[in-house]
Amino acid sequence: MTTLTIESVSKAFPGVQALDGVSLDLRPGEIHALMGENGAGKSTLIKIITGLYRPDGGRVLLDGKPVEFGSPRDALAAGISAVHQERNLIPRFSVGENILLERLPTRSGLVDYDTINTEARRYLDLLDRGIDTRVEVRTLSVAQMQIVEIAKALSLEAKILLMDEPTASITEHETAALFALLKRLRADGVAIVFVSHKLEEVFAIADRVTVLRDGKNAAIGEPMADMTRDRLVSLMIGREERIAVLGERSADLSTTVLEARNLSTSVGHRDVDFALHRGEIVGLYGLVGAGRSELAKALLGGAAVTGGELRLAGKPVHIRDMHEALSKYRIGYISEDRKAEGLILMHSVRKNIAVTIWQKLANALGLIGTGAETRAVQPFVRRLEIRTPSLGQLVGNLSGGNQQKVSIAKWLAANAEILIVDEPTVGIDIKTKTDIHELLGEISRAGVSILLISSDMPEMVAVADRILVMHGFRIVGEVANDHHYETASKAIMARIHAVGDAKPAAVE
Amino acid sequence: MSGLLRRLLLVEWSGLAAAIVIGAVVLAFLSPNFLTEFNIYVMLRSFCVSLLVGFAQMVTLGVGQMNISVGALGGLVAISFGGMMEVLGLPIIVAVPLALAIGALGGLINGLLTERTGINGFIITLATASAFTGINLGITESIPFYNMPPALVAFGEQRFLAFPYLLIAPVIVAALLGLFFARTVPGRQLLAVGGNPQAADLSGISRGRVIVLAHVLSGGLAAVAAVLAVAQLGSAQPTIGADWLLLSFAAPIIGGAALTGGYISVLGTTFAVILIALIENGMVLAKVDPYWVQFLLGALILAAVWLNRWRAVRTGTG
Amino acid sequence: MTEASPETLVIRRRRPMLGGASAQVGLLAIVAAFWFVFSSLAPGFLSSFNLFALGRSLAVDIVIGFSQMVVLATGGMNLAVGSIGVCAVMMSGFLLQDLGLPIPLGLAGALALGGVLGWMNGIAIVKTGVNAFIITLASASLFLGAMLILTKAVPYNALPPEVGAFGRLRLFGVVSPLLVIAVAIGAVLVVLYRFTSLGRQILAAGANPRAAAMSGVPVGRVIVISHVLSGVLAAAAGLMVIARLGAAMPATGGEEWLLPSFLGPVLGGTLLSGGSVAVIGTMLGAALVTTIRSGLLVLQIGNFWLQLFLGLILLFAVLVDRYRSVYAERRSVGPR
Repeated sequence: MTTLTIESVSKAFPGVQALDGVSLDLRPGEIHALMGENGAGKSTLIKIITGLYRPDGGRVLLDGKPVEFGSPRDALAAGISAVHQERNLIPRFSVGENILLERLPTRSGLVDYDTINTEARRYLDLLDRGIDTRVEVRTLSVAQMQIVEIAKALSLEAKILLMDEPTASITEHETAALFALLKRLRADGVAIVFVSHKLEEVFAIADRVTVLRDGKNAAIGEPMADMTRDRLVSLMIGREERIAVLGERSADLSTTVLEARNLSTSVGHRDVDFALHRGEIVGLYGLVGAGRSELAKALLGGAAVTGGELRLAGKPVHIRDMHEALSKYRIGYISEDRKAEGLILMHSVRKNIAVTIWQKLANALGLIGTGAETRAVQPFVRRLEIRTPSLGQLVGNLSGGNQQKVSIAKWLAANAEILIVDEPTVGIDIKTKTDIHELLGEISRAGVSILLISSDMPEMVAVADRILVMHGFRIVGEVANDHHYETASKAIMARIHAVGDAKPAAVE
Repeated sequence: MSGLLRRLLLVEWSGLAAAIVIGAVVLAFLSPNFLTEFNIYVMLRSFCVSLLVGFAQMVTLGVGQMNISVGALGGLVAISFGGMMEVLGLPIIVAVPLALAIGALGGLINGLLTERTGINGFIITLATASAFTGINLGITESIPFYNMPPALVAFGEQRFLAFPYLLIAPVIVAALLGLFFARTVPGRQLLAVGGNPQAADLSGISRGRVIVLAHVLSGGLAAVAAVLAVAQLGSAQPTIGADWLLLSFAAPIIGGAALTGGYISVLGTTFAVILIALIENGMVLAKVDPYWVQFLLGALILAAVWLNRWRAVRTGTG
Repeated sequence: MTEASPETLVIRRRRPMLGGASAQVGLLAIVAAFWFVFSSLAPGFLSSFNLFALGRSLAVDIVIGFSQMVVLATGGMNLAVGSIGVCAVMMSGFLLQDLGLPIPLGLAGALALGGVLGWMNGIAIVKTGVNAFIITLASASLFLGAMLILTKAVPYNALPPEVGAFGRLRLFGVVSPLLVIAVAIGAVLVVLYRFTSLGRQILAAGANPRAAAMSGVPVGRVIVISHVLSGVLAAAAGLMVIARLGAAMPATGGEEWLLPSFLGPVLGGTLLSGGSVAVIGTMLGAALVTTIRSGLLVLQIGNFWLQLFLGLILLFAVLVDRYRSVYAERRSVGPR
């Protein structure tokens, strides 16, 4: 029986304090939920426990003795196994080989595939008898791959098991099997850390819960028996630090700038109907996997439109790619993955903001003078209060909040009329979050129409004029926003849960 | 698509096998000299060195790396081999293992530099290629070693019916490599690192050790190719390896190797080299301009790559 | 939806030292040091004849380096630089000797061919999504083969005499006009990457193609343009060789250009991963290589050891740069 104790652990990265004095105590034979909003620090904590990161401060104790993991292998050796959010499988290897990769069995020096298959079968059968251990992993569906990952973690027979959003892509049936399994492991004395943002699951299976918020503890190891749904939610979002509702909104929202009618896409959307008006902020809410970002990308030419139509200013259009979206239709897109898609980290602030207007800045000879770029960019840096030592600073060195501001600035510079904003404040501190929300309000008052994609309920309720609810790649309802968290969030969640009837709810 | 067709497509070398059969039939039809014992012997001789050159690059591709120094290292091993026998008077039985050791050492240098510094293997091996060539030319001053032991020369020429004695080496190596990648732990680890380096790391596989191993193997295989080349030519030419670079990539790629690592095919590479040898032979028989070979090689690579992508998309594994 | 992963920040933190202005001064100092050493050991090094020959050789190396550099900017590489070069060489030979066209047309035709071949590379890369290494590896072979088939490897020795005369021309007794042209091309490239929209777009596409595309940069178009430019530059280098030799030889270029095409840019600080170019650095890098080559020649050390030397220098340069980056990274992040 092993106890794992995280004692006041801190971890900082350039520009952001991911964890600040976080503690967690894990007892053998329990299922311990780890909860928190996106950016709260859960993944960082998991990576420290599994040996991918080293903490800057604090200690990790195993059975009361301090340990230091130099690499994931050390954590494995110490009896800690994990199922991470990203897939960690070898595509061309078989299911069986992936499960037993750490310790391939041999017979007279050669890899023993018979043993691999029988062993892997044992663990796989606990979850899903349908997967053949001999097929290559790359031929499996996402859900099946996740099952294989879980089987792999189980096969290590670890004393401590960490699961980071393990049910993100699997079916209800498989989830039930998994939970039954976890309960059996618990009875055997295994300690399980269960990271999930699905409240129902946490209530169904966890014994105790630790909540993180903005890198700090909001609760440490509280028993689930004493917990209510409302209290858990408020611990996660921090009632005292309520996100401010936006100031007065535009009165006239009658001009439709973007309209989707019966839209179907090649990635699975069906019969998507919605309209966006000038100066409006329309929220698109949904959980992970609902299909919101995919819809945004499809609107911008990233995926094929297979049915229905998209109209801009009343005229049907077919957008080929982002270049056309910007130059022809003045649509901008702020990606949820700002480091990979929203910014060029190795380039300067100046270049990152001016990227959308280079062609406009060029003079008659096609040249852009050194001053021209700076003059074009400076006003936006000031207006958005972007904190940077100079315009030449590499964007990669800015804090998350300032990076996001740069990402927004480039669309303001481009005079975008429609802005699709995807998870704008993930991993950003509360003060900057408010700044960004106010900014969105301000530009919408100036006439920019915003489609706000977010899974941050408080943000959505505070900022959006109306909220579309998405689930399973369809729009399942629309909620008029009264900006009151309790009522609005209830209405939204009701839409999502009603989907079991397979009928999109009517507009409230 | 129909199940059988899909399964056939999933077998990477099916296209190649078909091309070989068709090519052979066509050639047999067009030229009476094609199916003669002597002609097959000639084809198999050129096949021997080429296959090993293909294998030398195949092992680095498997781990997601490249070895630009395949030819340069081969040339250096070739003249070292020749020099050891001609100048130092070492017997063949001593010179061969020493030559292989030199190749492995070159590979070790490549591997260690790549792994320790974290610099792109392309640049590292581009640099070492230049260094190896320099040492080669510095030692030989472009003059080959002509006095090779008669036993070696004989080995390079003799045959049993259509099969040159030389063929023994690539056949054995192919079998060993096939076994290595399919059934041994280090072989599987190599492909794991190539297939998904992060996953391999999380599973406790030492990425650094595996990369070094791949480069050492690559160097060793280049050395085998060099030794065979010396036997085949009957002399240790400093120009051995000068034209290996393209072939070293062409063979595994046409044979279906994944460019990013994680998948290689011994059988596929073998078929690819057979196809190339067939084409070269066909050119000679048809008295076609030998320059067509260059052209066709490039076209073949493009076709193979395109075909792989098409296949991946159609079978849903892309 | 994944949480932000802050650790990727660290890797992007530093531009390579070789790219900074201070590093370029350092490179210049090294070149100057070699000049000093060589001229002390062999006074013939500074003879007007040697300086002239060095200048001509440098011009070619510079342009070859540029040809690779413009593709490195996009995050790819061009293994067909040598093949395109020799195709352009033979094309101009054909136009000037066989067709008897006036020189400007002959030159223009060669440059146009270079552009077309580069265009083919670019289109193949963008449309198939296959990486540039494989495409240009194959096309290098394809182009070379096609050239050999068409010309049967017969050199053009009877070019208009003005061609060779231009190659022998000396300005101020030591400077070849070829070098002036090479530097002028460099100036144009500096303007391109620093003062034009296209240049910035190329660098953005090379640094982060996805982010660039998401910001409205026409990434595909920009990559094709870079390959066209690369082809034209390779052709230009080929034309310079013709001027130097006074004849169009099929042995020009080919694989021989592979190493030099990387040496200049890499020594000069152009990133292999794309997104950053160092035009002056490339010229200095080429200068280092040419200086060493010339010096070894004058000292009669034998061309053979040159290869070894070049390989070692390349290794040394990337190692130094790497350790500087790693050192800075370690200082800022702490143990991982």
